[in-house]
Amino acid sequence: MKVVKPKGPEIFDIELEKDLLAKNRNLAKENRKRFDHLKITAIDVMGSIGSGKTSLIKALLKKLNMGESVGVIAGDLTTTIDAERIREEGARVIQINTGKECHLDAHLVGQAIERMSLSGIDILFIENVGNLICPGEFPLGAHKRIVVTSTTEGPYTLIKHPYIFRQADVIVLNKIDLAKAMKLNPSQLEKDSRKINPQAPFIRTNAIKGTGIPEILRSLKFKT
Amino acid sequence: MHEFSISSEIAKTVLDTAEENKGIRVLSILLEIGEMTLLSVEQVKFWVQELLKGSIAEGAEINIKTIRVRIQCEFCQHQGRPFFDQQEGVGHLGPYCCPKCKSFQVKVKKGGGCTLRQIRMVR
Repeated sequence: MKVVKPKGPEIFDIELEKDLLAKNRNLAKENRKRFDHLKITAIDVMGSIGSGKTSLIKALLKKLNMGESVGVIAGDLTTTIDAERIREEGARVIQINTGKECHLDAHLVGQAIERMSLSGIDILFIENVGNLICPGEFPLGAHKRIVVTSTTEGPYTLIKHPYIFRQADVIVLNKIDLAKAMKLNPSQLEKDSRKINPQAPFIRTNAIKGTGIPEILRSLKFKT
Repeated sequence: MHEFSISSEIAKTVLDTAEENKGIRVLSILLEIGEMTLLSVEQVKFWVQELLKGSIAEGAEINIKTIRVRIQCEFCQHQGRPFFDQQEGVGHLGPYCCPKCKSFQVKVKKGGGCTLRQIRMVR
């Protein structure tokens, strides 16, 4: 809505209320409708670079053992390394390369689901670009959001990036086997997690070994 | 980082709106950025200016108003400014809670958006 009112002879003020983050939110709603229509549960996996997002998705796929009825959208700046790693688990994979962009947005995901054959897919994981800042501000239309951090990132990750952890339905602390070597106390991170987002379960994992993977699937309400 | 994509959206909206309203020159724009967004005001200003170069809005004054955050407590329903846990030393992005009952289950009611509010132009 806008009102144009004269101000001086030829100067006009256009008053408007253009919410610039709304466009992404609306596209996310469209994606959600599409998922619901196709009875697909979509999970957005966010987290830092090297926290183990791809390894975690691989471990979840292995445990789910559902073959091509699980789809993965792998977001990355320029490479297809993650998509190839995930394909080894038998899931249907599509790659989105964001180029310079630091996050996936609802438009890119909408394009990917246009290109991808979704028939027969029950669960769709969307691996976001490794980043603890920008993805938090761009919902994709997924039903649940997982945020992954790891012990090798040090003790302050949650307290430094509360915004993204506040968006999480599940918070994962990966590489739990390295906590001792890092002289890190996982209970402190769990305390931070409770403070920032009391509703989200805090799950300790070792994605390589599969530790904690059943807990994640349970909290996402998936049968194994 | 994502200031670039938001700024591109702002620049496009400014130029489209000016064109729709038969503007020949944009003099200034007014943006409102919420405290609870992860947008750096300085970066948005810089990128919008850069992206408008060579257009009818080149050199337009970019005014940005910061919108203070307001919350509603989902526990005691209190509305107002949240209590920020300054001990953590991360300002308004740090943990925050209801100032009354100290619950962390609060909803951001205001200060979480980025809105283009006004475009001043010559017709």
